[in-house]
Amino acid sequence: MSDLKITKLNKHYGAFHAVKGIDLEVPSGEFTVLVGPSGCGKSTLLRTIAGLEEASSGTVEIGGQDVTWARPRDRNIAMVFQNYALYPYLNVKDNIAFGLRSRKVAEAEVEKRVKRAAEMLGIAHLLARFPRELSGGQRQRVAIGRAIVRDAILYLFDEPLSNLDAQLRDDMRVEIKRLHQELGRTMIYVTHDQIEAMTLADRIVLLRDGLIEQQGAPLDLFERPKTRFVAGFLGSPKMNFIPATLTETGVALSDGTALELPGRRGLKAGQAVVLGLRPQYISMAGQALAPGHARVPVTIELVQPTGSRVQATMPLGGASIIAELAAHDVSRPGERTAIDIDMTRAVIIDPQSEQVI
Amino acid sequence: MQLAAHHPPDRNFKYWIIAPAVFLLLAVGLFPLIYSLVVSFMRIDMMDTDTSFAGLYNYKQLFKDARLWQSLLHTLIITAVALPLELILGLAMAYLFLERMPGRQIFVSLLVLPTIISPIVAGATWRLLLDNQYGPINQILGWFAGQRVNLLWTINPHLVYPAIIFCEIWQWTPFMFLILLAALSNVDKSQTEAAEIDGASFLRTFRYIVLPAIWPVMAIAILIRGLDLFRIFDIIWALTMGGPGTMTETISIYTYNQGFKQFETSYTAAIAFLVIAILTVVVTWAIRRMGLAK
Repeated sequence: MSDLKITKLNKHYGAFHAVKGIDLEVPSGEFTVLVGPSGCGKSTLLRTIAGLEEASSGTVEIGGQDVTWARPRDRNIAMVFQNYALYPYLNVKDNIAFGLRSRKVAEAEVEKRVKRAAEMLGIAHLLARFPRELSGGQRQRVAIGRAIVRDAILYLFDEPLSNLDAQLRDDMRVEIKRLHQELGRTMIYVTHDQIEAMTLADRIVLLRDGLIEQQGAPLDLFERPKTRFVAGFLGSPKMNFIPATLTETGVALSDGTALELPGRRGLKAGQAVVLGLRPQYISMAGQALAPGHARVPVTIELVQPTGSRVQATMPLGGASIIAELAAHDVSRPGERTAIDIDMTRAVIIDPQSEQVI
Repeated sequence: MQLAAHHPPDRNFKYWIIAPAVFLLLAVGLFPLIYSLVVSFMRIDMMDTDTSFAGLYNYKQLFKDARLWQSLLHTLIITAVALPLELILGLAMAYLFLERMPGRQIFVSLLVLPTIISPIVAGATWRLLLDNQYGPINQILGWFAGQRVNLLWTINPHLVYPAIIFCEIWQWTPFMFLILLAALSNVDKSQTEAAEIDGASFLRTFRYIVLPAIWPVMAIAILIRGLDLFRIFDIIWALTMGGPGTMTETISIYTYNQGFKQFETSYTAAIAFLVIAILTVVVTWAIRRMGLAK
């Protein structure tokens, strides 16, 4: 059964068309991440699901019920806001209990559930404090506590980690993933951070200009992007794009380098394309060339060590590409060497339609 | 050799510079206050040459003056009815205009107009509007009643208070509205949205989230309006001049009558100090009670 079903949803703000007829179905218990660059409509979509924005047209069903015109309180949802939105004049306990008390849950039950949620999030010792007395990370935990204490069908997260510093963000990401595994509830999570999307999601819904560009499991999107946008958005460092021309068996770069595309038949020779290569699928030339790989001589231009790996920038076929190599593979710029490219992972894009061929 | 001319700068020089300004302030501010206090202990009126010292005589008279306590009661009645109504109406209007809507700014500007008008002009205008023979209000009521209506708004004992309070509310609700609109606009929207999702009713959201946030501003608005209402003069002067009889005589109107119609100068000064004493006690209590001192 699906907990959320959106049909042909549109949202206009005056002349601005924020959400352009989106269809989306979220199965029960799934962790769905809505991701995309700012202005892609992901937050608007989430707020429309929550009922904080009215849909211009289309329908929203939650738990099998049409709630398109229902008030937020009648939708059986819980939400975590980007700026936490804690109630400043209530202490942590009353903050977490607010929703339950609003719904006239018996006080004994409120106590029990607040205690359990607080223990789950490691904030049991903070219950008497007020929001202003908490650190950013603690506030975020309270905000999450306020959501999970409720018995909702959908749990919505609107960029909950974007106000935290990098270290805390990593910790909270783990926390949220653990919570989802423990609770098994349906969660919808909005972020612009593709790493958050990749690490948290059961399914990523990638939005662009108010439309769903592609949706699926994180690895599915990473390995089999349907468009240049998806290919470029997911993955860090970003995918390299090199202009190329198709040949009978592969592609030719502008400097004459010919690269075989294993397992591809019936290519339209002579067609201008863009070759997409992930930095992770490029390695230092070893002893023997692995099957499906192509070896290319290069000159390293720039070296950025990240600890266990090193990001090396080099010119190839008229473009500047980045390869993610093992830490000690290259040490200084100017080095003349050779790289092996895993061509089985290469992506070929039609530059006109931006679709992956 | 000693440097005879080398002495420390005159630290008191700065005080000499501001001395004239301080003197001026004292002369126009503090002097009249003290002088009227002195007057209140004397026997001055405009009819008699006797200006001898009277001690507490005038203050003792205050307690015997039934008309004075009546006028205080009238003042309290008007304040007690008008203040909550202005607050509730102003708050309701502020909530209404919190939503973005086309023409919002024009509506807000129009709504604020009554407060801009001078109270005595507003009062005179309402005096004409409420006129029993030629006033449009009786005329309009007549259309609904289907017959000629001849309500004596400024004379009929049952109608004078409603008329005064109505005009007062008409003029000053926009003040509350404007201040509360500004306060409400500053309430973090995501907090009220979170409460909406949490299933909180309007009243619960107001009680726990909105009210604590707007309270400091709202308390000051209540205080300002409360003080103004206690000193209400213009509207009543224009509408009824305290009548019929002394029925709508407030403390300000009574003080004026005593001072400038009866020419009881010393007694009037004593009344003025009674009012100062009452307001000081009430305002001090209110500020402490409202938690504004924090």
